[in-house]
Amino acid sequence: MRWTVQRLLQGIVTIWAVMTVSFALVRLLPGNPVDFLIVDLVQQGVEPAEAAQRAQNMLNIDPTKPLHIAYFEYMFDVLQGNLGQSTWYSEPVTAVIGRALPWTILVMSYGVLLSFLLGIVGGAFMAYFEGQKLDLALTSYATFMISVPYYVLAIILLVFLGYRFGLFPASGRVPTGVTPGVNLPYIAGVLHHAALPILSQVVITGGIALQMRGNSIRVLGEDYLRVARLRGLSDYLIATRYVGRNAVLPIYTGLMISIGAMFGGAVVLETIFKYRGMGYYLVRAVQTRDFPLMMGAFTVIAVAVVIALLVADITYGRLDPRAGRGEV
Amino acid sequence: MSDATAGADGSTEDKYADLLSDEEGVPAFESVMETRETRRERYSRKFDTYVRTPLAIMFEDWRAVVGLLIISTYVVVGAFGPMVMDPVLMGEGEPLISPFQNWQFPLGTDRTGQDLLTMTVYSTRPVLLMMGSGAFFTVTVGTIVGTLAGYKGGALDTVLSTVTDTFINIPGLPLVIVLSVIIEPTNPIIVGIFLSIALWAGLARSIRSQLLTLRRESFVESSQALGVPTGRLIRKELLPHLLPYVVINFVNAARIVIFSAVALYFLGVLPFEDSNWGIVMNLAYENGAHYRPDALHWLLVPVFAIVFLSVGLVLLAQSLDRVFNPRVRARSSEGGDEDESTTATTAMTGGR
Amino acid sequence: MSKTDSLQESRQDESTIMRVRDLEVYFDMSRGQSRVVDGIDLDLKRNEILGVVGESGSGKSMLAASLLDAVVDPGVTNGEVTYVEEDGTETDVLGLSKKELKRFRWETVSMVFQGAMSSFNPVTDIRTHFEETLIAHEEDLDEGMERAKEIITDLHLDPERVLDAYPHELSGGMKQRALIALSLVLEPEVLVMDEPTAALDLLMQRSIITLINEIKEKYDLTIVFITHDLPLITGLADRLAVMYAFQLVERGPATEVVRNSAHPYTRALLKSTPNLQTPLEEMRPVEGSAPDPINVPPGCSYHERCPLATSICETEDPDPYDVTDDHEANCHHWEETLEME
Repeated sequence: MRWTVQRLLQGIVTIWAVMTVSFALVRLLPGNPVDFLIVDLVQQGVEPAEAAQRAQNMLNIDPTKPLHIAYFEYMFDVLQGNLGQSTWYSEPVTAVIGRALPWTILVMSYGVLLSFLLGIVGGAFMAYFEGQKLDLALTSYATFMISVPYYVLAIILLVFLGYRFGLFPASGRVPTGVTPGVNLPYIAGVLHHAALPILSQVVITGGIALQMRGNSIRVLGEDYLRVARLRGLSDYLIATRYVGRNAVLPIYTGLMISIGAMFGGAVVLETIFKYRGMGYYLVRAVQTRDFPLMMGAFTVIAVAVVIALLVADITYGRLDPRAGRGEV
Repeated sequence: MSDATAGADGSTEDKYADLLSDEEGVPAFESVMETRETRRERYSRKFDTYVRTPLAIMFEDWRAVVGLLIISTYVVVGAFGPMVMDPVLMGEGEPLISPFQNWQFPLGTDRTGQDLLTMTVYSTRPVLLMMGSGAFFTVTVGTIVGTLAGYKGGALDTVLSTVTDTFINIPGLPLVIVLSVIIEPTNPIIVGIFLSIALWAGLARSIRSQLLTLRRESFVESSQALGVPTGRLIRKELLPHLLPYVVINFVNAARIVIFSAVALYFLGVLPFEDSNWGIVMNLAYENGAHYRPDALHWLLVPVFAIVFLSVGLVLLAQSLDRVFNPRVRARSSEGGDEDESTTATTAMTGGR
Repeated sequence: MSKTDSLQESRQDESTIMRVRDLEVYFDMSRGQSRVVDGIDLDLKRNEILGVVGESGSGKSMLAASLLDAVVDPGVTNGEVTYVEEDGTETDVLGLSKKELKRFRWETVSMVFQGAMSSFNPVTDIRTHFEETLIAHEEDLDEGMERAKEIITDLHLDPERVLDAYPHELSGGMKQRALIALSLVLEPEVLVMDEPTAALDLLMQRSIITLINEIKEKYDLTIVFITHDLPLITGLADRLAVMYAFQLVERGPATEVVRNSAHPYTRALLKSTPNLQTPLEEMRPVEGSAPDPINVPPGCSYHERCPLATSICETEDPDPYDVTDDHEANCHHWEETLEME
């Protein structure tokens, strides 16, 4: 129990650290965001003086303020849920993110889940048929898979399934002309649009499968496996409780760490497919120097990852009795 | 009491006899210390263990051979290619010539008539540099932090772990994107270092947990009891255990670095001076190569370059895994009661 | 009870419980065929403790495994391994079907491995191990667990503490004893123990030996105890079988074999055992090294290291010679060996 509390505290500290880092990063960005916006507004025909005032209000940043005060105000705002105003989209950052986040989570979580499931099952298969033709074929295939970056697969899918054969839409999140809501056309349309980004992530299946295969082979060589067979335990029990659990454990940590990586992947995939999720908006924010949106997106992503890792750490202790004390 | 005092006169062999004898000069041990290595023998043995045997095992595996072959091809091309080939010029050839058409432009040209083969060759060096520096820094920083945190424990561990966790939690690619807006790196080595910022934390974490397990092993305890200084303990006892893991991670980090770097160039986020594979992909994509059949090769040439290199890296990593993991080896060859040594000493000491 | 009845009874007690004839275990490898058990004949008597002694790599673990037909793939086991019940019914162990084998193992002949450290599933607790075994053999859970607790207590462990623990929470000695308990939970007749004390400290070794004696008496077991440690087993075993180079070279009552060794290898083993009273100069390791299982030399497998070897030893593989009724040695010069100091 004490360790759980300690871990939670650590998580909070991490979130704070990440927020500070994003604050620092944005401050380091070249060019004064306010100036950018002023130029922008002036170009739109606003009077310079008024533009300056408006810019300041919109950005929630007073460039004349000393850094530490700005920092505290920023922290204060964030804790209240105020992430500022997006300069590009002229609406609260939280609104923009709120619209985008669910889509990213949809695509990424399905992608990760699918890959891991396929990977674990595939790896187990490969280990079972080790050395035989099926194993060799699958291993070569998996090896090839991990040599291909996910965005390359995305492009290939886009070219062939999207453009050439028109099986899947090449962009967008939702079908046009369909009313949103819990109805079949809408849901089908959503899945249809999400299919390619999700499938692009399946490249990591290869890596997971190979890992699982390696782990399973190692476990199969362990003494307790041999003893379990001699004790007369059923193949099913051995496959699940003996091989399965022991082989999956190291992958479980990998799963959680890849949650962090998946947002990076989202950035690229969403850009390729013009899928308006968090990644897409983050890239746009960088391109348009929309600092509030950038900071906000950054922070939100980081917090999500912290929570995911926290959950992973705490649940890992339940899976592996050797851990539990926060050591492994 | 024995009167056989071989070596008690301090000659040749048993200098140990002097140390162990009691006052009358009688050796406490008429030792069976026949194995006495010369320094040359010792180096030769170390060479065998650390170099010759792993290499021998590796080369049994076709994957190692192929992987190394692929990688060395890239290295050679990267090192010597630019010396042999002239740099790319715009308008050298007709735009968008298909590959395998003529000898002048074996891989075709892009929209501005630049030869794709030359561009690929010229990109190889910066890409390799990026990979190398990225992998190197990832592995170095990750190992150092992980080892210190795992071995020392206590306050140092808490601090380092929090730092590590922070970096794990910061999304890697977005971080690098933002950083490159700030700093705008063009030097491939710097780009590599940038990317390693996103990667080292994962490695640090797993090395830390490995060390936590290793730390409890009895050989560590005995070394500590003997008063072996920490630095030496880490270097000589612990690092060899980690070495396989580190080496494999080096190769994998190289692959991830290149994937991320190309992704970032492809997105147009990283600034560029010369072209490289990612940039070529970026330009190709921008020009709609993905839906124009006549321009498709423009996109695919750099893609192949990347994939091929990755295949080489992956094969190498897999064969290294086999070198370091004897059980994987054993399943394909031996069986039987052959675990320990079968020499005479085991009969004498009871095999312990 | 008449005299003939008691005579019959004593003969019953001395009757063979397992019979091994011409046992071979080999592995096909790229460099040749590795014969890790090269033609072994052995009789295991009911209720005895048989010590099988040999160096590491002599094939003794393979011999142990073949008693349960448990040689790892791709090893091939040939020959005859027969289990004899009290009423005389014989079972061909190597010919059992998968289902029958599953019942035979652990219910009739059970095994304790060398690595107690790694014989338990790290992610499940000890209780689960017992329950799994009971369920797999369709035994009554409550009864079985009661039995388990009793065995655990007999091994001087606290059942509650041990059952609720995970393997990594137990010390080496506790794990070894828990493993022994696990192997006994289905009340087998024969227990094969492969170096059960190898990884333990000396004190723990001694106490486990004592424990083994106790449980043997209480549970009416026949025990095959495999080890390289000759002095360890000498006090415990009723009979000894010495293995060298994948064959048995000497068999007989323990005291006989130790006091009147008839095979040079046994002699050498005894001489090489460190002894507090022997002066250092008299200690001799066994010279040379054991043969490669792929390239076993013709003739007596020990002749290259044997001080008594002559030309016949190089060509003819010795059959067992009778030293006494009970005591056999596979050496052409066994009489000379008896004379050796």
